[in-house]
Amino acid sequence: MNCGAKYSPFYVGLSVSRFCGIILSMDKWLRNALKGLADPDLEHRRRAMEPFVRATFGIFIRCLYRYLGNEVECEDVLENVYADIWQNPGHLRNITNEKELLRNVYLYYMRKHLREVYRRINRNSYLSQRDLMNLVAPDLSILEMMSQAELGQVLRRMLGRLKARERKAIELWMEGMSNRAIANELKTTVGAVKMLEFRTILKLKKMLSDYC
Amino acid sequence: MPQTNREIQELLIDYAGALRDGCMPDFLKSLTREEADRIASSAEFWQATEVTRILNSVGFADKAVTPDVGLFISRVNAAIACRLKKARASSPIKRSHHRSRGNSKPTTQAQTWAEDLL
Repeated sequence: MNCGAKYSPFYVGLSVSRFCGIILSMDKWLRNALKGLADPDLEHRRRAMEPFVRATFGIFIRCLYRYLGNEVECEDVLENVYADIWQNPGHLRNITNEKELLRNVYLYYMRKHLREVYRRINRNSYLSQRDLMNLVAPDLSILEMMSQAELGQVLRRMLGRLKARERKAIELWMEGMSNRAIANELKTTVGAVKMLEFRTILKLKKMLSDYC
Repeated sequence: MPQTNREIQELLIDYAGALRDGCMPDFLKSLTREEADRIASSAEFWQATEVTRILNSVGFADKAVTPDVGLFISRVNAAIACRLKKARASSPIKRSHHRSRGNSKPTTQAQTWAEDLL
C-alpha cells in the first residue's frame, strides 16, 4: 500500500509551489555546478563533481535522513548516489529548480540505493518486499517534496492547533525523549502515550493534507 | 525488541522510534508474521509513516549535515576513481573479445563506458 503513489510529479510541483506561494529557484552556484555535469568528458565531469557536492550535500543528506535516520548510512548511500550521478547524469538535464533536482535525484539515484540497503535486511523479516519498499523508499508525496524550512514552518503552525497534551507529547518526542520518559512527564502509562502519539500523528496527517 | 504481537499504534511508534534513533534494521527484524500482516492491511499505519518521516526530518535531519564536506568529497572522489579503475580493468578483455569475434560495436553499458575512457 502506498499513500504517495496517487500524486503525479506535476501535481506535486504545482501544489507545493502554490501552497508555499514561491517557487524555489536555484542559486548561481548550483546552476553552474549542474552545467559542469552536462560535460560528456568523464574527467571534466569528475572535476565538476566537487562544486556540485558542495552545493547539494545539505539538501540531499536531509532528504536521505528522512528514510534512514542514521548519519553514517546516509553518507554511505550518498557517496554511491554521487558516483552514479557522475557516471550517468542524464536525469539531471534541464533542471530548473531545487525541487525538481531533489525529485529527480530521489527517484533515479537515491531510491535504488535505499532499496539495496534494506533488501539485504529483509531476508529475516516477515514484511513483504513491496511493503518494505513502501516503508523505506516510498514514492514522493506532496509533503515529502517540501523543503526543510517549509516543513518546519508548516509543522509549527499545525502543532499550534493541537491540544496542549497532544502538542507536548509530540514536542517531547521530537526532543528525543523515550516513551517512558514522556509517560513520566505526562503522568500516564507508556501504552497511553503510544496511543496519544499515534492519534496525534494521524491528526497531523489530516491537518497537513487539508492544508495542502 | 522483545515485545511480540504489538497493536498497530505500538508498531507505528516503534517504527518512528527506530527511524529517530537510526535502528531501522532492528525494527524490521523484530516484526512477527502477524505484525507484518497487520502493517500491510492498515491504511492508518501508512498514512502515519509519512508524517513520521517528516517529524524525523524536521526534528533531527540537521544533525546529519556536516559543516565541512571536504572529507566527504574525498570519499566521492575515491568512489569515482574506483569505478574508473574497474572500467579500465575490464576494457582490455572486452576489446580482445571484440577483436576475436570481429565485432567492433560495444554491447553493454560497461563496454561503452570503458570505450569512452580509452
